[in-house]
Amino acid sequence: MSAQAPILAADKLAVRYGSFLALSDVTLAIKPNTIHSVIGPNGAGKTTLFHALTGRVQASSGRITLNGRDITHLSDDKRVPLGIARSFQVTSLFQNLTVRENLRLAAQGRTPLQALAPWRGVEPDGEATVIADQVMSRLGITAVADRVAGELSHGQQRRLEVGMAVAAKPRLILLDEPTSGMGIDDIEAMKALIRDLGRDHTVLFIEHNMGIVMNISDTVTVMRAGRVLVEGSPMVVRDDPEVRRAYLGNMMTGDIA
Amino acid sequence: MIYLFQLVNGIGLGMLYFLLAVGLSIIFGLLHFVNFAHGAFYLLGAYLAYDMIERGLNFWAGLVLAPLVVAALAALTEIVLLRRIYHLPHTFHILVTVGLALMVQELVIILWGPVGGNVSPPEALSGVVMLGDFIYPQYRLFVIVFTMVLALGLWWLLEGTRLGAVVRAGSESTDMVSLLGIDILKVNTAVFALGAGLAGLAGSLAAPIRGVEPFMGVEALGIAFVVVVIGGMGSYTGALVAGLLVGIVQSIMTTLWPEGARLMIYLGMGLVILTMPRGLLGRA
Amino acid sequence: MNRSSLHFILAAIVAVALPLFMRSGTLASEVLIYAMAASACNLLLGYTGLLSFGQGIFFGLGSYVVGLTLLHTPLPLGLAILFSIVIGALVATGVGWLSIRRQGVYFVMLTLAFSQFFYFLAYTFKDITGGDNGLLNIPRPDVGPLVLRSSWAYYAFIAIIFLLIFATLQRVASSTFGRTLLAIRDNEERARAIGFPVRTFKITAFAISGAVTGLAGALHALLIGVAPLSNIDYHMSESILIMTIIGGTGNLFASVLGAGFYVIVSDLLSTIWPRWLLLLGGLLVVVALFMQQGLWGLLERIILALRPASRTAAGKEPGRSPL
Repeated sequence: MSAQAPILAADKLAVRYGSFLALSDVTLAIKPNTIHSVIGPNGAGKTTLFHALTGRVQASSGRITLNGRDITHLSDDKRVPLGIARSFQVTSLFQNLTVRENLRLAAQGRTPLQALAPWRGVEPDGEATVIADQVMSRLGITAVADRVAGELSHGQQRRLEVGMAVAAKPRLILLDEPTSGMGIDDIEAMKALIRDLGRDHTVLFIEHNMGIVMNISDTVTVMRAGRVLVEGSPMVVRDDPEVRRAYLGNMMTGDIA
Repeated sequence: MIYLFQLVNGIGLGMLYFLLAVGLSIIFGLLHFVNFAHGAFYLLGAYLAYDMIERGLNFWAGLVLAPLVVAALAALTEIVLLRRIYHLPHTFHILVTVGLALMVQELVIILWGPVGGNVSPPEALSGVVMLGDFIYPQYRLFVIVFTMVLALGLWWLLEGTRLGAVVRAGSESTDMVSLLGIDILKVNTAVFALGAGLAGLAGSLAAPIRGVEPFMGVEALGIAFVVVVIGGMGSYTGALVAGLLVGIVQSIMTTLWPEGARLMIYLGMGLVILTMPRGLLGRA
Repeated sequence: MNRSSLHFILAAIVAVALPLFMRSGTLASEVLIYAMAASACNLLLGYTGLLSFGQGIFFGLGSYVVGLTLLHTPLPLGLAILFSIVIGALVATGVGWLSIRRQGVYFVMLTLAFSQFFYFLAYTFKDITGGDNGLLNIPRPDVGPLVLRSSWAYYAFIAIIFLLIFATLQRVASSTFGRTLLAIRDNEERARAIGFPVRTFKITAFAISGAVTGLAGALHALLIGVAPLSNIDYHMSESILIMTIIGGTGNLFASVLGAGFYVIVSDLLSTIWPRWLLLLGGLLVVVALFMQQGLWGLLERIILALRPASRTAAGKEPGRSPL
């Protein structure tokens, strides 16, 4: 595995907000077709890392490469056609549009300039609509296809949030706390969904639920105070004395396999 | 020498622009409310001063009273109307304040006629002084000195007092202000009245220089926006620097190309946006 | 029948009905001209979430361009109007490109400042624009066999253009492009995150809006034979915006409603009382407080109240739905 070239790599990445160093010296390599999780206490810089990797925030220094191509200075919308898509920790949907339209837009976003045609109608059997339907059935939300996103239950919204990333047909999918605010039943379903996504995507996800992390990750990166503390397999991370001391401790109560 | 004359003129004009813009800026800073009626308060300040002096009131009394009346009217407006719409999208803030501005403008025409009028400076300041080689109206000199003292006082108010701290904190976090145990409703009213009162004062001070006419409010609103865009929203220093800059450029252009003076200001604004989208000293 | 066709039929009814109810062809023409300008404004405000205080720029430039072309060149009317459309689109692209560098209220202030800039531009170059007096004596030549000299003939000409433009804007609004605009209005950050170059879309929306507004301005100058300075000033931008908001921003026909209401009521009131703007100001406050969906929303509420039983049968779609 270690010989395999990473799909996404960050080299000495730093993000500075004014005088606050949110991320420093983060070096990370995401291997293709793996499920890679990022954990750490609040304020560890996990979401900032996602922002930097997806281009929402520009890195103050360091380098990001996607399949060997330097994408450090590309804006977020330009990274999507290269095969990166993300979901947000705080649900960020098109609240006034239907579920199908949300996903159709997300699928369209890979070839955005095709949408820059004021004369072209939306074909019911167009590629983006087809993808939207596929994603809905994969997520099990076909029943609410024509409902406005803002009217969905929290669990459904979180699924749609993940679906927005899936619809872009990315090679690398970044999920920021996909289970945030979910009830127990929804969490199980989400866990299954992430595992399922791992079959045909490389998945990088931030999660607080140790059960999910330890259960389905191939690699775990532990962050603290804007830096990478430890990285390794779930077993290695769980047994790392520094991780235990620094952060995990009594949080290791999930259903660890 | 004419340039020195125009420079001094520009400083006076610029200080008035500063008063106008800083009021807009602090209202926006605390309330996140863009006040399209700001020009109307300026208009009202000018006309109230004009009216009071026409009725034989002492100039100085008019200068003090007119802005106070404007501030009181603004406070009333805030309490009765504006606080009901803060939660709405800014489209509606603009709609309401544009509506208010129209109403004020029409009321001014109804009360004082469409023609406008002139205001004489007070007896004591109606003369001229010799400044080196050129003569200069005393009143304009007074405006410069007076606004500078006022600017210092305002700076102290915003930087050195509890109210100022709240205004500055409020622009970052309303929760924090509530935590401080301050009645945010009262602060909102006070700040709105202060901002509008400053616009009114700018109007009263400007009346003896440029006269009064019903459409001076719209023009002032445009200028205030330009100053805020150039200086950066929410910045006291930005409003001061940009206000002076705009005043001086406009004044010097009056000598070089009188018809194009206004044009140059807006052109300058375009250049600033191109090179510095946040304005000279803007934070956000 | 879908909502889009219904709205088009309503627009056609307006175009046909105006001559039946109005004595002045000029006033009827004004309704349709401002209906175009307001619909173009709505494309920015309702569909893209951009409150532009600069619509008067494109309107005024349209007036000047058509006037200057007809006064100084032998070119035909059609070409002169086309120039207005092109200039409207180009200038709107520039103004849009600069203004969307800032967001929210800063954006609004920038568009307003640009509107002042163009006003003073027109004011300063009196030799070209006629300054305060306006550009006078603009002819209204025939278009091939069409003789447009009578005010009702010209109305018919405008009505056809209006319906073409209305249908075009409807097409734009329902296209992939228009639906992406709605997404941008709803959640700009997400639109960018899923791959859309938001700025490009906004600028394109500006260009389309500017083209239609430029056309409206050209038709207006031809209507009154003058390109007045007031066509490019702050109040023009303000009026177009007010019509749009009073009508409602949920669909394009609402803008026709808003323009019709504004033009007819202001004509009526201004003959009764020269200070009618006072009432208009009050109306704006009332709209903001009690009628946030505009006249269209009011109409929907009235229809709903009158037919409570058929509510489900009528299949009323959620008010958020754009068309």
